[in-house]
Amino acid sequence: MAIIKTKNLTYTYPGSTKASISDVFIKIEKGEFTLITGPSGCGKTTLCRCFNGLIPHFYQGELKGEITVQGLNVAEHPIHELAKRVGLVFQNPENQLFALSVEKDVAFGLENLGIPREEMRQRVDWALQLAGIYDLRERAPHELSGGQQQRAAIASVLAMQPEVIVLDEPTSFLDPLGAKKIFEVIYDLNRKLGLTIILVEHRLDLTAKYASHIIIMDEGKVVLDGEPHQILSSEETRLIGVGIPKATQLYHILRKDGAKLANTIPLSSDEMATLLREAFKG
Amino acid sequence: MSVFEGLKFRKVYSPIHNLDPRIKFVYVCAIFGVAIIFWELLPLITLFVLQLPFVFLAGVRRQWLRSMRGAAFLATIIFLTNFIFSFIGAGYIVTAKNLENAVALTLRFIVLVESFSVFFLTTSPDHLGLALEQTRIPYEFCFAFTTAVRFVPVLAEEAQTIMDAQKARGLELERGNFLKRIRNYIPILIPLIVSAIRRSLELAEAMESRAWGATKKRTNLYMLKLHRSDFALIVITIGIIAVALYVRFYVAIPSLNELLMGSS
Repeated sequence: MAIIKTKNLTYTYPGSTKASISDVFIKIEKGEFTLITGPSGCGKTTLCRCFNGLIPHFYQGELKGEITVQGLNVAEHPIHELAKRVGLVFQNPENQLFALSVEKDVAFGLENLGIPREEMRQRVDWALQLAGIYDLRERAPHELSGGQQQRAAIASVLAMQPEVIVLDEPTSFLDPLGAKKIFEVIYDLNRKLGLTIILVEHRLDLTAKYASHIIIMDEGKVVLDGEPHQILSSEETRLIGVGIPKATQLYHILRKDGAKLANTIPLSSDEMATLLREAFKG
Repeated sequence: MSVFEGLKFRKVYSPIHNLDPRIKFVYVCAIFGVAIIFWELLPLITLFVLQLPFVFLAGVRRQWLRSMRGAAFLATIIFLTNFIFSFIGAGYIVTAKNLENAVALTLRFIVLVESFSVFFLTTSPDHLGLALEQTRIPYEFCFAFTTAVRFVPVLAEEAQTIMDAQKARGLELERGNFLKRIRNYIPILIPLIVSAIRRSLELAEAMESRAWGATKKRTNLYMLKLHRSDFALIVITIGIIAVALYVRFYVAIPSLNELLMGSS
């Protein structure tokens, strides 16, 4: 059963005349690793805000169509109820940590929910360990690097044990190594815990290999929706201006030049290397 | 931005840092009160010396000395005004009694600064926020307090960035008379305020996403518990108050002058 389902979802911010997203029709299955991408201003962030009810409850504005999360209609349930099911990680790590220590920050959501102290302790430690920042638990946020801050933000969402974690360009403030670590943490959550991940990201080079589902948006609409290999090799994707992984591009150039490569389209340099190795052998 | 360095509190462990901030605060207030009811030099010297073990136990000697140095200017003013007025009042002669009085009043001020600086130097903002929460102050206020402390270094850094950016565009901060210099800061303040407002919106979004206001009965990861050392501090505080009151009402305190005369 689909964990998130939208039907004709259209939303206009208050004071705006043009809809930021229109007629969005998507379905996200439980346990999927979904990648949402598209040019800036295409409505990715707006869509993310719909997943946990920030739209329409926090932003007001006009929401048409329907969005359900685990069968709950988002428009009819308050944010704090949805927050238990969908965790949202934002772009700027600095602005989502409020407390004076990492540990306290991770506990923030649980404190709000009124979880008893013993259970809270366990869940906080569990989340800190999964995010790989257990040793940093007593540090203040300003003492951490951007990557560590973002992992703290992930841990604090994780502690609330949501079914879905939505990450809105979590690595745009980070250096490549920090970004890579974040993606690894996210992928682990998806694989080991079976969490549904929705990742908004431009850097497909680093992330396409993890995805099991890709949604490409442009001008507020979903343009392409489906399996990564297929989508990333289509002509349409290239025209929209999505950053197609280098390995995939290389594959297409080589094929055009008449290189005899197998039909599986590579999404990462590792996959490309395997293909080339096989081609050289044969 | 060295002014804000002090707010970047690092976790330190010492017997004094570990004390319950509520008890520490009561202690500081007690010292404050006792310092107010005495104007003689001897008891004030005793109070001053009484605080020193706290400073040494906490290992904050250097910071403490710095804050005392900061108070030195005001202390000098207090001393001079008291001394000059009594000097005039006594008919333009310096008497030992006048001098002692002026020193005593200065020392009283120093004791006040000393006790509060010990409190703030040994209490982390985190601990303070926790203490606020557990004294039944509405959580919104406590949250505002800790968040403010959390964002001071962030905003200071941002102010620095804006300053650099505006200087790169040719803004001269150190130019003109006093009023002009203040006006020079407008191009820094406006971007700073705008970005702070934006930041607050993002913060609100993040708070909402983490179930802010889900329940009235909020729980807390930490709980302040009274330890043996806290009870010891309570006993010390009561002791100080009791002795101070006894001395105030039943003992004639000799001035230093009389004491020295008497012994010689």
